[in-house]
Amino acid sequence: MERRVVITACSAITPIGHGKEQITESLLSGKSGIKPLREDELISRFIHSRVYGTVDYPVSYDFKRQHRKTMGPVAYYACQVAKEVLEQAGLPQEFVTSGNLGIAFGSIHGSPTVQRDIYKIFFEAKDKASYQVIGAVDYLKSMVHTTAVNISKMFGITGRIISSGTACTTSSQSIGYGYEAVKYGLQEAMLCGGADEYDTITVAVFDNLLACSTAFNDQPHRTPRPFDKLRDGLVVAEGAGAVMLEEYEFAKKRGATILAELIGFACNSNGGDLILPNLGGITKTLHLGLKNAGISASELDLVSAHATATKMGDIIEAQAISAVFGNHPYVIALKSYIGHTMAACGAIETIMALHMMEEGFIAPTINLEDIDERCAMIKHVQKVLQHPVKTAAIQNFAFGGVNTILLIRKFP
Amino acid sequence: MTRQEIEREIKNIFQREFEIENPGMDDDLRETYEFDSIDAIELLLEIEKLLGSELTQEEKKQAMDIRTINQICDYIERIIQIRKSSAEK
Repeated sequence: MERRVVITACSAITPIGHGKEQITESLLSGKSGIKPLREDELISRFIHSRVYGTVDYPVSYDFKRQHRKTMGPVAYYACQVAKEVLEQAGLPQEFVTSGNLGIAFGSIHGSPTVQRDIYKIFFEAKDKASYQVIGAVDYLKSMVHTTAVNISKMFGITGRIISSGTACTTSSQSIGYGYEAVKYGLQEAMLCGGADEYDTITVAVFDNLLACSTAFNDQPHRTPRPFDKLRDGLVVAEGAGAVMLEEYEFAKKRGATILAELIGFACNSNGGDLILPNLGGITKTLHLGLKNAGISASELDLVSAHATATKMGDIIEAQAISAVFGNHPYVIALKSYIGHTMAACGAIETIMALHMMEEGFIAPTINLEDIDERCAMIKHVQKVLQHPVKTAAIQNFAFGGVNTILLIRKFP
Repeated sequence: MTRQEIEREIKNIFQREFEIENPGMDDDLRETYEFDSIDAIELLLEIEKLLGSELTQEEKKQAMDIRTINQICDYIERIIQIRKSSAEK
């Protein structure tokens, strides 16, 4: 049994705004969300990259103690976007708790803030009493599936739980596996997404691999620079994104607002090096995506590239896009605005594509001033285009050699 | 520690740790305040701090049936009595 899957709600907290209005305004005005890296009194002083995609505005939460007690910062982000998506979708309460709604939600490694506090106690504690400062709930706050289960608890959602933790493909997998759960009749609806909190450890990891941007430390808004000659690496960021997926007939019957149809998903792995971008693996992903969606490359209007602004990653991705999609679709790199929001990037970039689809524009890749000739074979966008988007692909690739593509189509 | 002192300390813990203001002495904590198993574990840690001594695994298990503030006070009084008897021996 194969069923159609539609998106009926979305919400994101990003370095360039919270919710559709702010995010759309920022995309249209070319606003950057990259800020100076905050000091963490631990490792930040050893990190060469001094920039971070920062949510520097207050997010107001209204969570009861019963829910707050098992939530670290990453779960706050996740539960907030989940709450907004549930409100926007308007699903009846009896459906939400019926078991027909599931959750696919993840983060790259739970809550590093809480983990850091635990390690601090662990290394500094001198006796049993000081070890006991580690609370009974600290594991629940910090574990890798903390986002999914806190959402489940807060809203009484009793369907299946999928908690992908595949670094940069975490939330694109969440949406993809949520799509498959609905498509094959395992659930009527899935609340899908990803979140990551402010974390300097992730910056240190990429910094040690020489993958982080360092050349624009004094001008954060000028980096990252996907596909640009002066690009010098990625910028780690925080944020969250969530979408509601529903079976088409179910959504239609209840009169839901349909934002777009999710027409395809593919995921594969490179089966080799865990870090280096892999042209063969990525090319295969794009082919699989088209096949899964049942469309040809010529039907694609827009590609949201993973494009982290690393030297080799952007070239390999441009080659794969060129080989599979040709020079027809517009290609944009949304990380140029917000940095790399890690587990959230697939969901946030899908949501941004939904906003463009709904409003009929294509946001350019900012900081793309001088296109690297090795990336020039695809159709870059350097200024805002008032252009309808009917079909879009969202590409994400992760450490570990995991590749995903999501394909969405304007509805109807 | 008198019964009144125990009550006062427990109410302080409920206010400080669980954001539960002035609970009724015989209110069912689970039903009235959504006090759950995670809270119960946290409460046992607070009781250990209050007593200045560790609870045994058996004593902790006994606490799992507690439902009201009055029962918590009974439990603490009982533990204090056991500690006192052991010390006298």
